[in-house]
Amino acid sequence: MAEASRRSWRAGTGPGRVLVGVYAFFALAAGARAGWQIATRLSEAPVAYLLSAVAATVYLVAAVALARPGRRARTLALACCTFELIGVLTVGTVSLALPEALPRATVWSTYGIGYGFVPLVLPVLGLLWLRRARPTPRAATSAG
Amino acid sequence: MVDGLATAIIVTSLLVAAVSGVMALRGHPPRVGQLAGLVVVELVLLAQAVTATGRMFTGDRPDQLATFVGYLLTALLIPPLAALLGWSERTRWGSVIVAVACLVVPVMVVRLQQVWHG
Repeated sequence: MAEASRRSWRAGTGPGRVLVGVYAFFALAAGARAGWQIATRLSEAPVAYLLSAVAATVYLVAAVALARPGRRARTLALACCTFELIGVLTVGTVSLALPEALPRATVWSTYGIGYGFVPLVLPVLGLLWLRRARPTPRAATSAG
Repeated sequence: MVDGLATAIIVTSLLVAAVSGVMALRGHPPRVGQLAGLVVVELVLLAQAVTATGRMFTGDRPDQLATFVGYLLTALLIPPLAALLGWSERTRWGSVIVAVACLVVPVMVVRLQQVWHG
């Protein structure tokens, strides 16, 4: 029963796998950039560069959590998407209100404008999909 | 950056995106042809990366080197990632993955050109 119900929590199939791909892409894009910047010029804008690194890490964790079956992976994916949504809204607002606080662009600056606002849309899509992929009471019963 | 190669990447990638989009609409998972398309995109990307790296070492380097290298590495990883994920998803969503990836590649190439030319 544990196996069956674990399978029914699998969010990383169908449309979910598209999300996994986009999250993995963002982990790569933000990670490659942040890694390079931290390695070569961290002193220029430590907050901005470290923030990009945090964002990249959360994207990576979200991609893995979405791809993996099971209840804990789903909870982790939910946490990641929520964190991203709060992050992009907070950093987006800070970057507009206090531009001097973040002298270099991060993936979340101006609500992700540098990445076509995908960083803003992605956590919303993630949360919606996780909600839809939630096992229904009937599915839980038939799995048992 | 070689503009001819950039154009080749963009055209090939958009072609694979279009085919994959049609396959997705028809409810088909990715087929070998789409994978072959991804391989071609990757090979031209590699040619572009080698050329750009060579030019960077001979002094012709973009001002925003970090951004350029980041975009370049990411662009190179998109087709393999799309092939893996798309092939493992044996539904129409596999074709969606390939289509989305092949729409992202041209965006990356245009950004690379912008950064290269400053």
